[in-house]
Amino acid sequence: MKKILLKTENLSKSFSSGGNMQHVLKNIDLELYQGDFTVIMGASGAGKSTLLYALSGMDTPSLGTITFGERVISGMNQDELAVFRRNHCGFVFQQIYLIEGMSVMDNVLSAGLLVGRDRKAIMTKAKELFEAVDIPEETQKKFPTQISGGEAQRAGMVRALINSPEILFADEPTGALNSKTGLDVLDTLTSFNEKGQSIVMVTHDMRSARRGNRILYLRDGVILGECDLGRYVRPEEVRPADGNAARRTLGNAESDDGARQEKLASFLAEMGW
Amino acid sequence: MGKSYLLACSNLRKAKGQTVAIVVLMFLAALMLNLWLMLSMDYRQNFDRCHDKLNAEHVTLAVDGDGSEISQFLTDTMEADERTKDYFLDSVMHMVGTFEYNGGEMNSELIFMEKEAALSRPVGKCEIVEDSSHESGVYMPILYKTDDIAVGKTIEITIGNRKMPYTVCGFFNSVMSGSHNCGMCGILLTNDCYRELQEAGCAPKATLCSIRLDDKEESEDYDAMLRDAVSSRYPASRSTSNTYDMVSRSRYISQMICSGIMSAMAFFILLIALVVIASNIINYIQENMKNLGALKAVGYTSRQLVGSLLVQFTGISLTVALIGAGLSYALFPYINVMMISQTGIPYKVRFLPVPFVLTLAVLGGAVSIVVCISSRRIRRVEPIVALRQGIQTHTFKRNHVPLEKTRVPLNLALALKTTLSGIKHNVTICITILVLSLVAVFSGVMIENMIADMTPFLNMIVGETADSAINITAETEEVFCADMEEDGRVEKVYLYNSVQLLHVDGDVLMVTITDDFTKVNNQDVIVEGRFPKYENEMAIAAKYAVEKKLNVGDEIRLTTDGKEDGYIISGFVQITNNLGKDCLLTREGYECLGELQNASYYLNLAEGTDIEAFNTEIKDRYKDKVNATINIDATVESAASVYVMLMKMIVYAVLVLSVLVITFVLYLLVRTIVGNKKQEYGILKALGFTSRQLIWQTALSFMPAVMSSTIVGVTVCSFIINPLAAMFLKDLGIVKCTFRVPLGYNILAGAVMILAAFGISCVLSMRIKKITPRKLLAGE
Repeated sequence: MKKILLKTENLSKSFSSGGNMQHVLKNIDLELYQGDFTVIMGASGAGKSTLLYALSGMDTPSLGTITFGERVISGMNQDELAVFRRNHCGFVFQQIYLIEGMSVMDNVLSAGLLVGRDRKAIMTKAKELFEAVDIPEETQKKFPTQISGGEAQRAGMVRALINSPEILFADEPTGALNSKTGLDVLDTLTSFNEKGQSIVMVTHDMRSARRGNRILYLRDGVILGECDLGRYVRPEEVRPADGNAARRTLGNAESDDGARQEKLASFLAEMGW
Repeated sequence: MGKSYLLACSNLRKAKGQTVAIVVLMFLAALMLNLWLMLSMDYRQNFDRCHDKLNAEHVTLAVDGDGSEISQFLTDTMEADERTKDYFLDSVMHMVGTFEYNGGEMNSELIFMEKEAALSRPVGKCEIVEDSSHESGVYMPILYKTDDIAVGKTIEITIGNRKMPYTVCGFFNSVMSGSHNCGMCGILLTNDCYRELQEAGCAPKATLCSIRLDDKEESEDYDAMLRDAVSSRYPASRSTSNTYDMVSRSRYISQMICSGIMSAMAFFILLIALVVIASNIINYIQENMKNLGALKAVGYTSRQLVGSLLVQFTGISLTVALIGAGLSYALFPYINVMMISQTGIPYKVRFLPVPFVLTLAVLGGAVSIVVCISSRRIRRVEPIVALRQGIQTHTFKRNHVPLEKTRVPLNLALALKTTLSGIKHNVTICITILVLSLVAVFSGVMIENMIADMTPFLNMIVGETADSAINITAETEEVFCADMEEDGRVEKVYLYNSVQLLHVDGDVLMVTITDDFTKVNNQDVIVEGRFPKYENEMAIAAKYAVEKKLNVGDEIRLTTDGKEDGYIISGFVQITNNLGKDCLLTREGYECLGELQNASYYLNLAEGTDIEAFNTEIKDRYKDKVNATINIDATVESAASVYVMLMKMIVYAVLVLSVLVITFVLYLLVRTIVGNKKQEYGILKALGFTSRQLIWQTALSFMPAVMSSTIVGVTVCSFIINPLAAMFLKDLGIVKCTFRVPLGYNILAGAVMILAAFGISCVLSMRIKKITPRKLLAGE
């Protein structure tokens, strides 16, 4: 039985535009589980990002409740939400949003020192995370404008994870990166998920979505359906069975990446993607 | 021009707050600049206009005695001097007198004139500015018009030993004898009252001689010549005189102080406004590098882009300067009322084109120069470079306050990062705070030395003060002094007598004579060297010494009553009684030249002694041996109250202005920082920073510059305030100011400035609350 990390009931979000009300999210009931790599997909304007902001406490819903653990976050004011975010959430953005005026290390520490009191422990954690995402010490001292997009996004992930968040929200994390760099970022996310990190990611990229074990499809502010892809297994974890094809563990079932892709494609086709 | 105008309009729409702040600063600068120019260029000239209108004299001399012999002597003397242009001799009465004024007592050499005669004088005539149907009474100089001295009310004038009550019939204007600042004060009596005073015999007859010269610059020399001639011929005769030079300056002391402060404030605010404009332009270029590149790419020239900034800032400045200078005319009447209470010369406020145009030219010119200099970088913008990546707005060569090494709390560390990466902001803050420190220290010094306790101001301006002054005949001195020594109410009695002497080849000097200068109350009057001790020594006014290139140790020759002697300068003093033409002599020193006919003694009375009653008792006891008694406390209070009122208004005005200025400067800076760091704040909020933390950080980021410049500013200003004040007051004869600098007040003022700056920054930074992470993510 998976533990529920975050739960929404009748979650709705509306915006007023030019005197007209635009209902972006409509009565969404959703449960997110600990340890899951949940992917939210949908066409442009479906409400993916709005749902992500609402779930992460970046934005407040118009109606409905969001419960994180035992706490209802939907009624919190901006400052309470800020404290909630710093203590429980991590964020990876499409535009990365490292602060240009701070070095890579300072970007990470500005988040870490906000929560942690033990400076030494935070420094150690930062070093470990930088090592995990393969950012050398020299790069840590550089400013965001002096490093590559991939390095910046990986640094962004270190910043997101420095406080060991219970849930990591990623909004199109590979959207601004080239193919190779995007793959590195996805590998990093996968490796953290393997270590138990709960992740919620918004994407419209199938390659990225295949990394998740649970796919939610959103259309016109409603979750139209979901698909269980099972846990992603990296190519290096493949056990050769017949010497012809790479076999991977998929939950209880075994499947190759092609099968995973096929399942996702089939699901998306069903959803009208 | 058309395209530049459109760009300027577009810039203005995007920067409304910045425009408002610059508008306010420019408005204040224009308002004060125009007021200053009006005060300095036209107000002083009003004296000359009034002087010409009344065909006033350049030298006035009142000599006791009105016989044909003295008239003939004066006529011969004046006729013999080729500098004389015109003159008029008149029979008047002359006596030291007092009357209540401004809650105190006014003491002056009073010249009583018959009203009709005074109005018909061809030279130095008086004009009635307020009349009534009262047919018998007195006309007072317009300066003394107060609630108590008003038409129909009774004024009691003490003339010699008699109190004469008169009905106030009206007020008159006289350029050379319309104020206690003239050395002599005219009073017009209706014919019956004039005859009554003559019969009372308390004011001796005198000849009033008014002389116009071909060259008014000669007034001092002419006066010296005339007085020397009179004292040589009539050594026993009491006389008093004034000159155009002395009166024109002494009647405009408050105008000089006020316009000095006004000019300083105007230029300080203009400086701050220019720094703000420069800072805004530099920020604008940084923030809009890509836009500027795009505009250049589509064909705009650097000249057009700079032109748009010129149109924007110079246009705003000139428009606002126009309004500010225009509205200064609404404020001028109030300043005029304040000034008239000291000058006593009516001034009609009217439009003055030259100050107006000058104000516009100075502000417009200064802004244009600053815009051109600050926007030089636009010329270096290459469209391709700017479009591709923008020119780096920050050069991240150095990581200020690395978080991995610093031990300071996170919020403070982030605030310090902002501080250290915004040098231009810091410079703006530093200049603003340094100016405001000067204002704060100036206000403190004025409160301490004028408003709360004016003794230091009086010691500096008046020179010597005591409780009472008694002028007695020379033969009564011995008895008087013995009596005073025995009187338990008298703590100290010492000779302090002023007479006039002529410096050979120099000017007429007001000489203060005393037996022993160690006895005088104000020992600070010596600014270099020491008081005279021996009969061949003298101390001379520092201002006069500078003018005449005299040094301590030099010998100068003084003359009176046909005698002449040399004196060695033992020290320099600053006494402003005669606008810096003063000197000190020991009694023995003076007696080498002449004998005192009358002697003034200063008395320090025991605490609680009723000075007025004491003076009355002395008058009753010595009867006609006492020429005059003066309640110095009351006299000083009435004369100084005008300055105190003026200074209070100036202090309040500059303090209010300071708060306004610092608020607008901080508003601009906070706005710029919040604008520049909008995305950063969004990111930090997304990471979990609360609005309060970010507001705190922003306000804290100003504090290093605010605190350091406040400490430096208050400290430095505390040291330079006296030399600065001396510079402003140099026309009065002040070479060294000895104002007490209130350390406690300055520390408090500095602390208040820092706290106020922090508070204002916090309040202004509240706009950070409006920044939400969702807006950042939605790309708003």
